[in-house]
Amino acid sequence: MGTLLHLLSVFSQLSILGFGGGKGIIPQMHAEVVTTYRWVSSEQFTQFYTIGKLVPGPTTIFAALIGYAALPQHPLLGAAVATAAMFVPSSLIMIGFNSLEARFSASPWRAIISRGLAPAIVGLVWSSVWTIGRGAPSSVAAYLTSAAVVVLMLRTKINAPLLILLSGGVGIAALR
Amino acid sequence: MLAETRPSLGSIALTFATIAATSFGGGQKASIRRQVLARGWIDADGFLEGLEIAQVLPGPNLLNLAIYCGQRARGVPGAVAAFAGVSIPPFAIVLVAGALYFKFASNPFVYGALRGCAAGALGLTLGNALELTWDERKSWLSVALVAATGLAVSLLHMPLLPVLAIFGGAGILGEWRRARKGSAA
Repeated sequence: MGTLLHLLSVFSQLSILGFGGGKGIIPQMHAEVVTTYRWVSSEQFTQFYTIGKLVPGPTTIFAALIGYAALPQHPLLGAAVATAAMFVPSSLIMIGFNSLEARFSASPWRAIISRGLAPAIVGLVWSSVWTIGRGAPSSVAAYLTSAAVVVLMLRTKINAPLLILLSGGVGIAALR
Repeated sequence: MLAETRPSLGSIALTFATIAATSFGGGQKASIRRQVLARGWIDADGFLEGLEIAQVLPGPNLLNLAIYCGQRARGVPGAVAAFAGVSIPPFAIVLVAGALYFKFASNPFVYGALRGCAAGALGLTLGNALELTWDERKSWLSVALVAATGLAVSLLHMPLLPVLAIFGGAGILGEWRRARKGSAA
């Protein structure tokens, strides 16, 4: 019961603070679920994040995997609670805002807020690189794989899940 | 026009479930746009407005945008149908992935593949950081805020709420002053 409540509180707070599409919440999520609650290791965190990027839909669906690992006696319950906590609070804000929308319609504040928040979100993405890197393999082959993915991502139109799968192929050959 | 086209809640849920289940690596916004405009749930201006709101408020853009469209088509029940449509297929897929993970992660081949995938995901995140930073290059304040935020979070372990309040707040203040100057000129 305690774990369920902690899952609810951790992920619903992240949900409400998930500005910029949720790109900025990774460092805080790691601090909570790896450092504070020890539900998963740093390596598992990175692998769950990777699975979140691999499957269709929002990346933050990997909250389900953390819930799954946090509650080994009832993994499905843990996954459902973590996912609901991750998705429902921000959705309620969206629904509430739409109901009042006429009042805010075409407000210049919308652009000011989203552009103004952007640098902080980008800084958080840099911190996410650091966070994810802590659980990623550290070897020359792994670094070369990451570097190749950066180049392919910026220079070609190969889509993200495919790049991850190609890296997995490299991993089978070189990172066992 | 919106009053004439009243889609069933099931068709809202199914439309977004299909988009969510097939949204590999982006392109979801374009497919949502195509589907909701073709079905007459919303007009082009309404969609653009929804996209802006979806990006300003917290939460995944895909989920927020679907909720917006569902709500415009059928009110709060439509929003709930869109929420279910976007969340349920990825949840089911990630559960299957999780069950496989816990069963096979210790197999050396699977473990190697996972480590390779993790290196790939790290590369994608780094590429994303580079791309987003490039977008901020025109303002010194923005570049300074990017750097200050990254250092405060990674070195000083500053929690998310104060990060958003301080660095996000400073950015919003900067944008507000710029907007005011722009409108005065």
